[in-house]
Amino acid sequence: MPLSLAAPVRSQNKEQVATPSLKVGDHAPDFTLLSDQWKTVKLSDFHGKKNVFLAVYVLAFTGG
Amino acid sequence: MDSPAANAAFAKQIDIKFPLLSDMNKKMLKDYGILKGYNQQGETYDWARRANIVIDKDGIIQHIEFDESAVNPNNALSVCTDLHKKQSSK
Repeated sequence: MPLSLAAPVRSQNKEQVATPSLKVGDHAPDFTLLSDQWKTVKLSDFHGKKNVFLAVYVLAFTGG
Repeated sequence: MDSPAANAAFAKQIDIKFPLLSDMNKKMLKDYGILKGYNQQGETYDWARRANIVIDKDGIIQHIEFDESAVNPNNALSVCTDLHKKQSSK
């Protein structure tokens, strides 16, 4: 089940920079997100049922 | 900003058959550590880094790549194929 995600959001905190700490073998944190059909999608919904391919991208539809 | 409405229009335009998700409050991006601050004209904006992540049925990360290496999905797809074969043969 491929999923994809996009979310650039303006920050109030100028110091915030990500340091990715997740690696292969780690438990993926659960998430609840809104789909393009305005339905709630949870990672845990796929537990025991499907593998998930999560593609995170920015500004796919804005020409950015 | 890719809101659910913008994603719906994008999905329709290129006929996508899987869910396009929006992290409007950045929670998932923070949890996954993939937000990056960019300075533009004196203001800092948080954007998601590009990433491909494969998570198996048990919720374990089997593949994770960022930025330039995440533009091409072939490595992640290959992991998916191997995972599927392994699970099918059980």
